[in-house]
Parts: sequence; C-alpha cells; structure tokens
Amino acid sequence: MFSFTARFALLTLLAIAALAIGLFVGGSPLGPADVARALFHPHASGDANAIVWSLRLPRVAIAACVGVALAVAGFLLQGMLRNPLVDPFLTGVSAGAGAAIAIAVVLGVASPFLPPLGFAAGLGTALLVAALARRGSGIDAERLILAGVSLSALFSSFVALVLFRLARNGADSVLAWLTGSLAGRGWSELLWTAPYAVIGIAFALAAVPSLNALRLGTSIARAVGVDVARAQWLLLGSATLLTASAVSLSGIVGFVGLIVPHLARRIVGSDGRQALVASALLGAALVTLGDALSRSLFPPIEIPLGVLLAFVGVPTFLYLYLRPAGATRLWGT
Amino acid sequence: MGNLNLRGVRLVLGERTLLEDIDLDARGGELLAIVGPNGVGKTTLLRAAAGFLPVAAGAISDDGVDVRTLSHQERAREITLIGDDVETPHGMSVREVVLTGRFAHRAWWDWVTGDADLFATDAALERVALADFGDRSFDTLSSGERQRAWLALALAQDAQTLLLDEPTSHLDARYALEILSLLRDLARDGRAIVAVLHDLNEAAAFADRIAVLGDGRLLACATPEAALEPALLERAFGVAFDKFEVDGGTRVLARGPRAMVRET
Repeated sequence: MFSFTARFALLTLLAIAALAIGLFVGGSPLGPADVARALFHPHASGDANAIVWSLRLPRVAIAACVGVALAVAGFLLQGMLRNPLVDPFLTGVSAGAGAAIAIAVVLGVASPFLPPLGFAAGLGTALLVAALARRGSGIDAERLILAGVSLSALFSSFVALVLFRLARNGADSVLAWLTGSLAGRGWSELLWTAPYAVIGIAFALAAVPSLNALRLGTSIARAVGVDVARAQWLLLGSATLLTASAVSLSGIVGFVGLIVPHLARRIVGSDGRQALVASALLGAALVTLGDALSRSLFPPIEIPLGVLLAFVGVPTFLYLYLRPAGATRLWGT
Repeated sequence: MGNLNLRGVRLVLGERTLLEDIDLDARGGELLAIVGPNGVGKTTLLRAAAGFLPVAAGAISDDGVDVRTLSHQERAREITLIGDDVETPHGMSVREVVLTGRFAHRAWWDWVTGDADLFATDAALERVALADFGDRSFDTLSSGERQRAWLALALAQDAQTLLLDEPTSHLDARYALEILSLLRDLARDGRAIVAVLHDLNEAAAFADRIAVLGDGRLLACATPEAALEPALLERAFGVAFDKFEVDGGTRVLARGPRAMVRET
C-alpha cells in the first residue's frame, strides 16, 4: 500500500511525535510555548528551563534509548534463534540484574550504585548463559534457550525470597525496579550507559548481513560464506550489551523487546537492514509514549512503565495477530 | 574451472570411522554422482568436501589450494553445498533468497546490495527458468521450483564447485528429470557438480561418473557402465542387482523379493 520510503517516513514521524509528546507532558503545567522557549534558550534561567533541561529532556532521551535498545536486542535474538517467542530477557540479563539489585537493597547499598551493579550482574549472568550454551565454536540455540530460562528462574526466586523478607520500604524500591520505571533517572545515568549501548548498536549493524543470511537456516548461511559462530557471538554480544544498558536505566520493561520486532517485520518485511531500523524507531516511539502516559494518567502517581505497556500493548498485539478472521502468521510478514 | 580433490580422506563420526582412504576428484565440466546405502556417510562426505566438517586424515583441495586455509567467504566463492536439510524461509521473496548467495562477494559487514549482485541474481533466476518468479513469496513455490531456486542461489554465489545432497529426493519423475538435465547443463558450462543421488538409474542416465560408496570406503568411481557392476552394487547395498542395456545406456534393477525367494 505504501512504498518503503513512505513507511519509513511514517515511522520516523511517529518517533519524533512521541519524543515531542514526551517533552510536553509532565507533572508541572508547562505550555508548549514554554517548553519550546526553554529548548531554544538552554542557558536562560527559570523554572521552565530547569524542568525541561534537567527533568524532561533526559527522561525522554532515556526512554528513547531504552526503547531502541530493547527492540533491537529482541529483533537480533529472535532472528538469531529463529524463534518468535524470544525476548531480550532470555539471556538472563534482567533476572541476574534483578537478583543483584534486590540483594544490594537488603545490604543497604546507596541507590546511585544500583544501576551499575545491575549492569554488571546482568552482563555476568549473560556470560554464564552463553558459556552453558556453547557448542564447538558457536552457540546452540536450544541450549541457549534452556540455560537462559533456567538461570532466569533461579535468579527470579532469589528476588522473590528477598521481597518476602524485606521491610516495606525496601520492597518498594525493588518492586519499582522489577516493574520498570524511569522515575529519577537523569543525564548521568544515560551518559555512563551510552558507550555500552553504542558498542551494542555497532555490533548489531555489523551482524545484520549475516543475520539476513541466517534467515535461510545455518546450513545455507554457512554455504554462502557466513562465519556462523562469529555471527552468533556478535549477535549475542550486541543483544546482551543493549539489554544490560536498558535494564540498568529502566529496570525491567517487558513487552517491547518481544512485540516491537514483530510489528516492525510486519511493516517493512524481514530484511534485517530495514527491520532493524524500523524496530529501533518503533521501540523509541513506544517507550517514550508509554513513559509520557505513565507520568500523566494519574499525577503525581506514576504507573510502572512495564505494567502500562503490557496493559496497552498486549491486547493491541493480540488483536493484530490472533484475531480469527485475519489469520496472519506470527513469523515473517 | 572447479576442481575439487580429495586425497586419503578419513571421516570420523564420534568414535566410529565412517569412511577411509577416499580419493575422489570432482572435475569442472562434469556431473559426478555419489551413490551408496543409507548411513554410509554420503552427506558427511559432502559436508567435509564443503569445508564444514574437519577430516580425521587426508586433505581436500580446491584447484590445488587446501580448503582449510581458506576463509569462510573465500571458500564460498569456490565451493557451495545445498544440503537436503534446507529449511523453507518464510516471508522472503524468491529474489531475496537468491540474492543471499551474493554474501561472499562483499565484506561481511557491508549492507549495500550492488548492481553486480542484482545482475547476478537475475541472471541466475533466468538460468533456472524462474525469471518470472522473482517477486513470488518463496513459500508459495512447488518442491521442484524450490529446488531450482536453491540452484539459482548457488549460481548467484558463482561457486565453481556445487555440492548437492539429494537434489531430487522430494520430486516426482518429471521434476527430477528437469533438475538432473539442468544439473548436467550447469556442468557443461564448466562447473564441477557433485550430487548425492538415491536412484541409481538417475545417476546412470545423467552422471558422467558415479562414485559408489559402501563398506566404509570408495568401491568405485567410474563411468556408469563400469561403476554399476552387479557384484559391486551387491557389496555396497547388500542386495543382488541385474544390469541392463537400455537405448545404449546402463540401467540396474535390485532383485525383488520373488527373485530372492526363487534363488534360495
């Protein structure tokens, strides 16, 4: 119906519109003119400037980054494992980070240290999962899924145990983390995660041609000259770095990494070059809009981002894919 | 000109030696059929020849170069293997599938599909008579058309040695003949084509030479007439065979149960 260019133009517009909405929406009543003025005069003083530059802009930027990271990570893993049910948390990143953060809260670790701790623990868990999934020089898809699922279950029960024992205040901060939230995040958190996310994106870009060949299965991919083991490690490395960055910024925001890649493939087809960019744009738009909604529905209470996205997104997804009349395949376009 | 040479190759699967002392040459311009009983190691031999599996002993060289010294992409520009385990890709057009064959002709991280890639893809589709199928979704093709599309991928890849594992296994008589004629034509263009075939008479009718595997070794590699000797085939397959002349060509027939009963 629409040409490729038109579809990308629409997705880009959607992402830009979502970023704008994220900037205009918030607890304090700022008009669009105030926001625009503050944006174009960064060095001016005043409440509007402070709100826009130190609260809303970093929050929108973080939401966009989290969306891009989770959507791209989900896209890479679904393609690599050729499994439409895979999401970025399969590698154990979120469960490992969750357990570390829960334990740190019990031990009374100060909150600024929690995101780096989560990042390191997530990365460590993913390494353990990868080590278990290794076969020969490459990775066995089935072993990866089994290792990821079982280690995630183990670490999740750690979290449950900690929650069970914790006093109410501590439980709140662990819960906020488990249900995903951008509250209280700022430029400093974004800055220290950015390098890892950038490396993750670079790996992803380099792996896309191999990922495209892997659509035909490992046997044909190998025949046409893909170094399958190298492609698998690049894809897994990229997905892990991106997920760990996202998780340390936002906690566990579910749904995005599972469902955005499906929507992206549906809109632009399964070619990784287009589907990766489309996933990134859609992921950014979805998380930014979700965060804006979570801040503005019942102020001053923020609805957990992961919960909100699941409430809005899952029914939409089910309607799109599983309605009886439009029997559409989940995988492919 | 594709020339693939196996010298003293030994293949091991786990603890078990599958094949040993294999000396085999695939020559440019020639269709070489590999036949043998189930489980003898035909697929493993092809995978080793393609450089996918290590050999326990011996060497495999392509135009004099040891395949182990080639990078994945260098190897793919010389040799390709279309296995019998290919999966049907979903959500891809026939052209997209065939275009994948061009992977080895760019840097592995390069996103750009060049004019040469598109040209090679269209030429390959034309060569296998699928020129009008480029925009069709791959999963709507019939088995015979899919097999031709996989051949087109190998042609777009521009490898001079094509290794094919049971290219006619899911095809009815007409499609099988079509694929085998195409394979022979592709060999005549100068490529070396090696195909594992189950049907001995397909091999007899189309191959220039037939390699018979049995008993853990290469029993013969010769013209159909010389290779399809009943005694040799009996050694390989464990059943008796009769040999006929049909229209100047060799045909063989495994003796049915009745013939076996009569003999005892």
